[in-house]
Amino acid sequence: MQSYMAPQWFYGYDVGFELLFAVITIIVAIFAYRIYKATNQNYAKYLSIAFFLIGLSNIFQSIINFLILTKLNENICGFVKIQSVAYFNTIGAYIHMILFLIGLVYLVFMTFKSENKTILTLLVLVSLLSMFLSSNILYTFYLLSSIYLIIISLYFIRNYLKNKKTQTLLIAVAFLFLLFGSIHFLFSVNHQLFYAIGHLLEFIAYVLIFTNLIMVRKK
Amino acid sequence: MSRKRNHLEIIRDVLLAIQIKGNQARPTHILYKSNISSDMLKQYLEDLMEKGFIVEEKDKKENKLFSLTTKGFNYIKDFETIKGFMESYGLE
Repeated sequence: MQSYMAPQWFYGYDVGFELLFAVITIIVAIFAYRIYKATNQNYAKYLSIAFFLIGLSNIFQSIINFLILTKLNENICGFVKIQSVAYFNTIGAYIHMILFLIGLVYLVFMTFKSENKTILTLLVLVSLLSMFLSSNILYTFYLLSSIYLIIISLYFIRNYLKNKKTQTLLIAVAFLFLLFGSIHFLFSVNHQLFYAIGHLLEFIAYVLIFTNLIMVRKK
Repeated sequence: MSRKRNHLEIIRDVLLAIQIKGNQARPTHILYKSNISSDMLKQYLEDLMEKGFIVEEKDKKENKLFSLTTKGFNYIKDFETIKGFMESYGLE
């Protein structure tokens, strides 16, 4: 697996972007958890778990990219007696992908408005197995993410059409940007520029999500 | 014509009906103020008790009374924020 996909001019910026994404998603996760505690609504709990996992995955990605960038991982590998730096990078990338994918699965499960946990377990297992049994894990990860983001985006678009407000529009557009970002990442496996464009699209998405939170809190 | 209330708004109306009666309301008063059917009210009261928003008490004549818990008061206070967030993500 390719360990660092960013173009040279984007080195370091991606680490900053990922940290920002992590901060925003964890703030949303905390807020959703508070809503869950106030309402006892399980869907708010699923949303909180989803954003928390996505936040963790972004923290992980940011740390791994930072270590690769600063060559610190070579020292860590020496310290923990891991022979190959590439092996360490791959483990980090896998953890990021697992957390992100399970986060998206929770969002998909939330859109089903179901309380059947078997569906959730099945979705998690099928997603992880299909990713790790595939010949190109990275490509399958972005493919699965894109499919899940299509389902989630359609749900938020329908939510906007049912309830035409600025807040519902912000979330629908934010997830469309995340979807475009994920589709861009599909190409970034071979094209470094798409990696940077994907980050910029994600940046717009997370800013919209954060704007929504500010608007809701001002009520 | 006013639009149909959603689940979150009905909960708020039931809790408000209890609050405006000095936090001790009988089912008949809640029924009248919250403007829902008696079957629905029964379901909502059971649900709200189970979730810890209200508690059931008895007066001297052994009539049922309902009171808000801290969680119930907080729901009324934060209702607009809760509603805004839940609507944004289609959770209501």
